[in-house]
Amino acid sequence: MRNFSIHGGFTGLAASTRVRLARNVKGYPYRGLTPGQLDEIAHKVWDALSTAPAASHGLSLTDVRAGSEQAMQLVERHMISPEFARKGGKLIASESGDIAIMLGEEDHIRLQVMGEGLCPKECMETAKRLSDLIESQVPFDYSERLGYLTACPSNLGTGLRVSVMLHLPVLTRSGAVERMINWAARQGFTVRGAYGEGSRAAGGFYQISNQITLGLSEQAITEKLISVATEVIDQEKKAREQLRTANQDGLFDAVARAAGVLQYARLLSSEEAASCISNVLIGLQMGYLTGVSAADLIEAEQQTRPALLAGDPAARDRIRAERLREVTSGLHVTA
Amino acid sequence: MLCQNCGKKEATMYFRQNINGQTKELNLCPDCAKELGVQDQFAHSFQSAFAKPFGSWFDDDPFFSQSFPSLFGAPFSQAAQLGSGRRCPTCGMTESELQHTGRAGCAECYNIFDDILTPYIRKLQGATAHVGTAPHPQNDTQPVENPTAALKTKLEQAIKQENYEEAARLRDEIRRLEGEQHA
Repeated sequence: MRNFSIHGGFTGLAASTRVRLARNVKGYPYRGLTPGQLDEIAHKVWDALSTAPAASHGLSLTDVRAGSEQAMQLVERHMISPEFARKGGKLIASESGDIAIMLGEEDHIRLQVMGEGLCPKECMETAKRLSDLIESQVPFDYSERLGYLTACPSNLGTGLRVSVMLHLPVLTRSGAVERMINWAARQGFTVRGAYGEGSRAAGGFYQISNQITLGLSEQAITEKLISVATEVIDQEKKAREQLRTANQDGLFDAVARAAGVLQYARLLSSEEAASCISNVLIGLQMGYLTGVSAADLIEAEQQTRPALLAGDPAARDRIRAERLREVTSGLHVTA
Repeated sequence: MLCQNCGKKEATMYFRQNINGQTKELNLCPDCAKELGVQDQFAHSFQSAFAKPFGSWFDDDPFFSQSFPSLFGAPFSQAAQLGSGRRCPTCGMTESELQHTGRAGCAECYNIFDDILTPYIRKLQGATAHVGTAPHPQNDTQPVENPTAALKTKLEQAIKQENYEEAARLRDEIRRLEGEQHA
């Protein structure tokens, strides 16, 4: 399991939080940066971070070669974007991956801080500390009117994107998730089903992130996200309790069966795995199951998606089942 | 069906994005798809969107991907596209490139193409003024200013000049900004 240093509440319901800041270094173009210019920027940023060993402890600067195996692994760990993996660049990151600073993405600097659970404020604090540290030595493009300047106008101003990944299986099944999406959109947030498209997200994972970066303060954006996410989490919790009241046996049965499949299956398709993991997460949150952390299970789900496993479909199903048996070995039914 | 970008060739490629439950669709000819780079982008975001629940964290997020606002959002009018062919003296970005990519080439582009970008920014962000962290003054960057401080000075002036209509507008604007900061 990754050793994220930031942990928030609602683990299991809120899988993880990410805070990202876009910044550009004064005096360099946003496109067609030469390798020499990128080198200069990387060293300026690295030197700035090195002035405060306490804040930059554990970070290292590496080259990400375009299309390399290493680049693909970093994409899998959500530390760099696929675009960056294709194009290559420099990366300053912590070993656990909770801090990742891409240099030479669409903007010169894309600083990301990840945490477990719902922790936008904590992630923001770390991101701000790092960004302030860099800015104390390396001036950024900033306009009084438009704030921090970014290549794409959709990121202007704060250059801030905060997102939280929520697990909403019961709202998804009841169809109430559609209302939630519309409501969040009216609050200025984008909701993306993990599987996109109109189909209901398998496994019930959704990402909520702020749409607007300009004309709102960082604090306002972060607080609004927390209040939207908390409201949605409350709805999901209520829906789970209603389900318990309505059909306790049925719910327990579904949860326990899912646990059994993950613990004993030898071949698991990604759909079946997603649905079982989803049910086990419900079981963990509602007290039917214990012995495994929700975060580990979420991580395993993420690592066993088809694109991330090698081999033909049959081989993938076998590897997936194996991996999930490992993760759930300590799982047991409480009642 | 004709390509929605060039309007000339037959569209043979179909792209779809789903955000907030709304599906945006785009039909392109292979040349335009290649030129705009949508092919790889979408192939990838499709793969990840179906492949992993966390895929959307990076790939499907406009923040970290080319979202082609100029195509999906049609931010720039046809008239503007036939415009003067200005060029940014700092980075060499031309007006048509800007319209095509929907991206600035450098900080100066925001000044040079202000007339094109400001309406676009308003459409995207619903605002055209920054409220939030500013660089620290010692950084030798632009002076820091609390956006409401300037408005408050203007408000005092308006009151002195008995321009109450303007004063009311400024007061509401200050309230809005401060309210948002504490929202």
